[in-house]
Amino acid sequence: MSVYHQMGNDSFNLIGDMPSYVGAILSPVNDDMDAVAAIVRKTALRTSFELIFDPQLYFPRSQRGQLGTWNYFPKDVDTADVTSESWWHGVNDELIRTVAALGISKVCSPACFADTMPDDRYTFDVECTRQLCDSASKNSIHVLQTAIVRLPEVAQADRPMRIASILSRTAASGLYVVFHGEGRPRDALADTEQLKGAMRLLAALKEAGIPVLVGFAGPEIVLWKAAGAADFATGKFFNVRRFTRSRFDEEEGGGGQLPYWFEEALMTYLRDSDLDRVSRRNDLSLASLANPFGQKILEQKKQNPKAAWIKLGWRQYMHWFGDAEARIQAGTLDIESHLIKAEQQWVALDEAKVLMEEVRNNGAWVRAWRRALVEYKKTGP
Amino acid sequence: MSHDATTFEVVAREICVARKLAFGSLVGSGAFKHTFQVTKGDGVQLALKVYKADSERTAREVSAITRCNHENIAKFHELGNWTTAATSYTFSIEEFLAGGTLSGRLTAGALDATALANLARSLAAAVEHMAGLNLVHRDIKPDNIMFRTAAGPLVLVDFGIVRDLKESSMTQTWAMRGPGSPYFAAPEQLNNDKDLIDWRTDQFGLGVVVTIAATGSHPYASALGGNDPMTVIDRVANRVGPASWFTDWAKGARMTWLVRALSPWPVSRFTKPADLLAVLAGEI
Repeated sequence: MSVYHQMGNDSFNLIGDMPSYVGAILSPVNDDMDAVAAIVRKTALRTSFELIFDPQLYFPRSQRGQLGTWNYFPKDVDTADVTSESWWHGVNDELIRTVAALGISKVCSPACFADTMPDDRYTFDVECTRQLCDSASKNSIHVLQTAIVRLPEVAQADRPMRIASILSRTAASGLYVVFHGEGRPRDALADTEQLKGAMRLLAALKEAGIPVLVGFAGPEIVLWKAAGAADFATGKFFNVRRFTRSRFDEEEGGGGQLPYWFEEALMTYLRDSDLDRVSRRNDLSLASLANPFGQKILEQKKQNPKAAWIKLGWRQYMHWFGDAEARIQAGTLDIESHLIKAEQQWVALDEAKVLMEEVRNNGAWVRAWRRALVEYKKTGP
Repeated sequence: MSHDATTFEVVAREICVARKLAFGSLVGSGAFKHTFQVTKGDGVQLALKVYKADSERTAREVSAITRCNHENIAKFHELGNWTTAATSYTFSIEEFLAGGTLSGRLTAGALDATALANLARSLAAAVEHMAGLNLVHRDIKPDNIMFRTAAGPLVLVDFGIVRDLKESSMTQTWAMRGPGSPYFAAPEQLNNDKDLIDWRTDQFGLGVVVTIAATGSHPYASALGGNDPMTVIDRVANRVGPASWFTDWAKGARMTWLVRALSPWPVSRFTKPADLLAVLAGEI
């Protein structure tokens, strides 16, 4: 049960004093090979810190950031048949050479996004990953199979079990599940059927003994955790952005320029003035008040109200993420009763006519999460 | 004897002469092959199988059985082609299994606990061996389970619809049902869900065979001894899950591994053959 840092632009130092983060998912988008090599050197002495390389070929025709500078990035990507196993084998071999040269011991399999993900597409990914595992094992590199799962698809009745049946055939040591939603990047996941389907998928994989690392995770970690996922990765951008296609069309950093505070009592992000409103009502959770970065933000706002706290906001959220995972694991944070309290608190705010800055920041997703959790528990995987 | 069988026997006798084998008798026949008992000069009995040549089914069966080398899978001796004036045939010479079929044994009643444990472990071992070769038998049923001798080990036979997972499937996606004997088939076979077929499909067939050998009933039948075969097949195809009488019986018989092996979705069955074998070693 571990938490990883999903690397963003120059974000490695954010977790310097967060022991709950046991490793990082390296990004070839933000860093070129030299920059990643520097991170590998920096962490070489931290024996319990694990680096995982995500090749990020989700949209292979998109040469975002530094991606095009990497050796494994296919030069024929605009003309290649991406449905050809042999083409992927070439990418896999080059990827393993790159990862071995960096001295990284774990890699996510390359996988690209598709508008629909039928059964044979998952089978194709399982077979490509099998070849990657063969190549990786010769270099003592472990593989996580990347599984892009479209949330609208797992809302269909049998789809989670069908997908899990294929994915559980993986030759990799675990799965790196990336849930892909179609909502706006800033919106919380709020479709009960989709959430329930994702939970059923995670639970079925857990029952099959397949370890799952949920990548690009946000506060919905509470649901994935309830469903039995083992590991999670989040990053600074996931306080306000998530894995959607638009995330890959825009410049990195476009959505993260305002400071946000993650408030566990409401399971939401608060803008600066929202934080003042909630704080004045003494509605901040004990977890938030104990969050060392939260304490710094509140102190700074008291001493110097005009000072920016965006970086502290990232860290406040990331600390919450690791801390919440640990408390759920230890049994000191009960998800179901916590969501009930969060919903009651939103009702109390509404009755007191306390409104958040953003029109959609109204807590409506908490009901969807509660329903997903309750209904999932009734039926199980 | 049908005209087809007569023709096959003529071919079999010609092969026996060429190979210095003594022709015995017809011991089995199907749509694609006929099996004859023959004897070597040293008195060792063998099975001579004569196939219609050039059928994909023949090629698949021969390819699979020549790759297998396991105590619980029929031993293969020779493969050849035989041409008459009118037709070409493929033939194979394999060990002769003198102990009869599981179907034959079940006519005398359910197996006792020891025989049941042997059945489960031997089938699981054969399935594990095949899984290591990326092969899925897809037709595990009492007719395809034979015994070397009356007291000898179990042997899995008839690889006619074996699937090599490295090759593309020969079943058309529009087919209503995939190949296999429906009564023993897994939901993914009945629904022709080709991407869901792997060794866990054989695990389901194994579970059905063991349950029937123990109780006489299919685990998806709504009541012990109940339901006609078509109703049972529909229940499996619709993935309703094993019946409650069956789960109660499995618990009482300390064979709860069967409940998992018979899960309607492959992901809920044993993930790896070694997992199943380990449980079988401990539980029964």
